[in-house]
Amino acid sequence: MATLTLENVTKRFADGDDEIVAVDDVSIEIDDGEFLVLVGPSGCGKSTTLRMVAGLETISEGAIAIDDEIINDVPAQRRDIAMVFQSYALYPHMTVRENMRFGLEESTDLDTETMDGSVERTAELLEIEELLDRKPGELSGGQQQRVALGRAIVRDPSVFLMDEPLSNLDAKLRAGMRMELQRLQNDLDVTTVYVTHDQTEAMTMGDRIAILDGGKLQQVATPLECYHRPRNLFVAGFIGEPSMNFFDATLEGDELVLEGTELSYPLSAPIREELEGETELVLGVRPEDVKILDEATDDHAFPVTVDVVEPMGNENNLLATFEGSELSINAIVDGMRHVQADERYAARLPESAIHLFDRSSGRALHNRRIDDEEKLLETRV
Amino acid sequence: MTAAERTESGSSEGRLATTLETIDSQRAALYAVLLGLIAFYLSPLWGGLTTAFKTQTGFVQTTPLAPPTPEWFTLEPWELAFATMQGGLVNSLLFVVPATILSALLGSLAAYGLTKLSWRGQIGILVLFLAGVFLPYQSVLVPLRQFWSAVDLAGLLAFAPFLAERADLIELTVTHTAYGIPICTILFRSYYKTLDDEMIEAAKIDGASAFGIYKRIILPLSMPMFAVTLIYQFTQVWNDLLFALVLVTSRSNYVVTQSLNELQGSMAQEYNIQMAGAFIAALPTILIYVVFGRQFAKGITGAS
Repeated sequence: MATLTLENVTKRFADGDDEIVAVDDVSIEIDDGEFLVLVGPSGCGKSTTLRMVAGLETISEGAIAIDDEIINDVPAQRRDIAMVFQSYALYPHMTVRENMRFGLEESTDLDTETMDGSVERTAELLEIEELLDRKPGELSGGQQQRVALGRAIVRDPSVFLMDEPLSNLDAKLRAGMRMELQRLQNDLDVTTVYVTHDQTEAMTMGDRIAILDGGKLQQVATPLECYHRPRNLFVAGFIGEPSMNFFDATLEGDELVLEGTELSYPLSAPIREELEGETELVLGVRPEDVKILDEATDDHAFPVTVDVVEPMGNENNLLATFEGSELSINAIVDGMRHVQADERYAARLPESAIHLFDRSSGRALHNRRIDDEEKLLETRV
Repeated sequence: MTAAERTESGSSEGRLATTLETIDSQRAALYAVLLGLIAFYLSPLWGGLTTAFKTQTGFVQTTPLAPPTPEWFTLEPWELAFATMQGGLVNSLLFVVPATILSALLGSLAAYGLTKLSWRGQIGILVLFLAGVFLPYQSVLVPLRQFWSAVDLAGLLAFAPFLAERADLIELTVTHTAYGIPICTILFRSYYKTLDDEMIEAAKIDGASAFGIYKRIILPLSMPMFAVTLIYQFTQVWNDLLFALVLVTSRSNYVVTQSLNELQGSMAQEYNIQMAGAFIAALPTILIYVVFGRQFAKGITGAS
């Protein structure tokens, strides 16, 4: 049980004569028992951040503290953390039991019986009792994954670190393990930092998610807050599958003119006031908020031609092109609705669902309206 | 090639051709070439073996590749050779086994330090190890002799007469260990580079110290590579004559290669005894290969 604090943490790597800043001034406070997901595209510095917490990388600047005790100079061996690796990193010459007991043997003075007891209890929790005397090479990927988890859990550490632990599993198993990991983390109530590049994992698993790009922290918030209230263009584009639609737009009077088209989108006064005088903007709207109508009924709807229909069963993903332009838009409609490719429709972008960003800085100027804001955003998974 | 061999390989080629005719003439040609190569490589060994079982007149009057006829068959060369080499065999075992194990063990430790631990100046040290591999024996003979003259090992070991008597062998052990460490280090290093870094990191986070990781993770996983280095080093050290000539002074400490040299008669060349001696000298290295062969194969193919 512990809180984990990262304060202005920076990591620089020397690359010949150049210097690469892998992690740039990252500050996050993680509460006791919280599940924080570090997410970002590859090379964003999320793994480096995790490795600094683990003690596998030195910290160039800033401080990392567990329960207010700064651990910058504490070697990995004595940090009281456990880590699950992407490759599982099991010891191939040891049985599952020995793998799980290794950490206890190396880091505690417990007697053999106590250790065996903990190993067996943990194995039961993960339903791998019958694998205890096998070697990692005889196990399937999913089983190895459980052993790797068990090896971390049995240590009863103050902080869990997980580095893309599910990425080597096939899709079905991954979905199952996602749920199970959350259940385990809930039961054990151990502070956890989870690194992934998969925004679905981030959305579904984290109490909060921290989004990194280019070594810089973009936003730390609950998943739904990141989804509905992205702080900038990067977060808006990264969170959500399929991604948000973005259109470069210029404010002319009370209308947004979409770049490269004749289309103009009327903007109501309250939203215009939020724009802080910026006129070079990016208009964002999530595919599921785009309404596909048979024809344009108001001035927020535009005629489109549907190019591609991807039936998913529960919904249809559409790719459509605005008439008289090259601009295309993604939309999701209900699975029961029949939409014909190459037919003309109208795409309506409801004003309540649009996001507006400053084009040069990427900063969000206006986010979509949420009817019951408190209820939606304060809920933690 | 002798006439006897030519007819022998000729007839087996003929047999092969008839059995394989239906399959593929190219394949038959391939086997013929392979058989020829086998005969080419094995003929000296075969010649040595037949000679070792012939009497003095026997090997003078027959060709080396002809098997010994009953009238000239004898085991005497083996008995004579063994009697002369007995001491050498024991002495060799006494220094080859520790030298082999020590150089493999120290090489593995050094390789661990050069691959899985991070510290400044690794490259420089690695270059020294690499240079050590390419240092020819001949170039160090003089300084080596001078070194062991300066270090009076027998004098230092005077408190234990048994060890003092064997000082030559201890000098050989130390010399061969030192000389073997670079190649062992390089071999182990290439193997350790393939070991998963995340596994080492997992052990570190599990609380294991640098040496603990070596002892409990690296060492048990190194067994295939140990087989490779043990076979290689054993053969290398066992077959060495040069260092022994320079370092071993007392006859009672003669090693196997030196005692093999003793079989060379001053008047007549007793090839049969020399051949028997050569086989006796080679036997331990063959045994080592048989014992560690399976692991050796794993080690050189990189499977673990």
